[in-house]
Amino acid sequence: MGLTPRVAPLGGYAVYVELCREVSLECNRRVHALYYALSSRAGDLGVTEVVPAYSSLTIFYDPRRVRWREIARAVEELVRDAEVFTPPPPRSFMIPVVYGGEYGPDLERAASMRGLSVDEFVRIHTSRVYTCYMLGFTPGFLYLGDVDPRIAVPRLETPRERVPRGSVGIAGRQTGLYGIESPGGWRIIGRTPVVTFDPRRDPPIPIRPGDRVRFYEIGEDEYRELEGVWIEEVQ
Amino acid sequence: MPKLEVLNTVLATIQDIGRYGYRSLGVPVSGALDRSSAVQANVLVGNPPGAPLVESFGPIMLRALSDSIVAVTGALTRIAIDGRAVAEYRPLWLPKGSVLEVGPPILGQVIYVAVAGRISCDEVMGSCSTYTRGGFGGLGGRPLRPGDVIEASLGGQRLEDLWSSISTRYVPEEGRVAYRLRQGVVLRVTPGPHRGVLSDDDWGRLLSETYTVAPESDRMGFRLRGPPLESAKRLGRLPSFPVDRGFVQVPPAGTPIVLMADAQTTGGYAVVAVVVPPDTDLLAQCPPGTPVRFAELGVDEAEDVTAQYLSYLESPEVSEVGPGFSEYDAYV
Repeated sequence: MGLTPRVAPLGGYAVYVELCREVSLECNRRVHALYYALSSRAGDLGVTEVVPAYSSLTIFYDPRRVRWREIARAVEELVRDAEVFTPPPPRSFMIPVVYGGEYGPDLERAASMRGLSVDEFVRIHTSRVYTCYMLGFTPGFLYLGDVDPRIAVPRLETPRERVPRGSVGIAGRQTGLYGIESPGGWRIIGRTPVVTFDPRRDPPIPIRPGDRVRFYEIGEDEYRELEGVWIEEVQ
Repeated sequence: MPKLEVLNTVLATIQDIGRYGYRSLGVPVSGALDRSSAVQANVLVGNPPGAPLVESFGPIMLRALSDSIVAVTGALTRIAIDGRAVAEYRPLWLPKGSVLEVGPPILGQVIYVAVAGRISCDEVMGSCSTYTRGGFGGLGGRPLRPGDVIEASLGGQRLEDLWSSISTRYVPEEGRVAYRLRQGVVLRVTPGPHRGVLSDDDWGRLLSETYTVAPESDRMGFRLRGPPLESAKRLGRLPSFPVDRGFVQVPPAGTPIVLMADAQTTGGYAVVAVVVPPDTDLLAQCPPGTPVRFAELGVDEAEDVTAQYLSYLESPEVSEVGPGFSEYDAYV
């Protein structure tokens, strides 16, 4: 597969690598594979940190140890080397969600925008296993996708000042989960009682880029029972 | 054991050199906005350069609950111990019961107060830096407030012994914020990943116009005011990609935002330029209304500048005063 990454030096301490222009699961899988490959060689390369996103990643380096051209060469070699593009096997997480009401204030509107009943909307949202494209923006925010096109709804025109921790939202073909309370513009359809981000743990969130997430519907009683419970991997 | 009570603050937090290694999980780096001033303060009191210390916007008042050694760096300001003027950029002995008063910034805007010893704070993911949006680090993840007590452990060392080994240290004028600000603020940049989005005219405009720091600036980013870059308006939102302190974002409104210490880890606006790391320290010291300009730097030079800066942060030079030196001589 012909793949020429775009590599650009930034500020004398970082290198931007764009693997493709579009957002797709396939491109994202390659980003993760390159991320894990680079992270495992970081010490040898003089790389201090690698941060992956949808279709690109940024490599931070110490210019006293390495210069950007050497990193660019290493990236090009890794990209040419096909076996690099096998990320570690994804892990799976099940996340309980109360949909609608005060937990998901935008659910009704989102369903009516798509001509669906609330139940249908929720059924479609819970029927897919999502891939974690990336974590970012705020600590532990999960960018998941792709949602079924039937429930794709745009961001809010005006973002909210405060979105509670655990809120589950939709923006276009992405569904997301807020790890901490923050401002946010995604349409909020529900909320999970389980804790997905805890700064006192290391790592503070068990879900990594490339992992799989599925949502399931719970009632308010279960919400109260599960409140504050730490999220765990499904074996 | 050095121990200080916070009597008064405007906006102060505990920061260190930053929280690295967790950006892939969305955790910002945080840390001192002006890292050069922070490491200087630490070295003046004999701490490791990257140790946690107090970062303050505006005045701050502290009372020593036991004998302590502190140093104040950053913005030019007036400081006093029990009403008697003392010097910035020098170690200061605070006898038990005395009050350190740090006035409002006169030139610059961020002040650092280092306390000799390892200060007690919430170490989260390897760093004590306070990230207030996430509510973690520092003291309870929040700004300092009156009544808070900052305790420092000297690990068995006697304060008097420490004092005799550091008391002559100071930072000469050319190493200070006020000196750097008086030279004018020129932020050296390399082109960003979306430089190509800008027309050549707009790139020229970015490098020739004088911008001013907008009041809506905070630890997350400094917004600049100036003529909008029209060609950035075409772009809108991109798929999110990793961003960092120093990245110059241009949202569709066309005026730049320079991301700072608490920058989100990913962003969807075009990044047209990246400020070299030492110059983000200078920008940190620019209160709203300060004129700033950009200048293009080659990548090789940017790497040299960054390399030198990283070495400085690891072992900042401080000077020793000679005999006959009064502490007022250190006053700018």
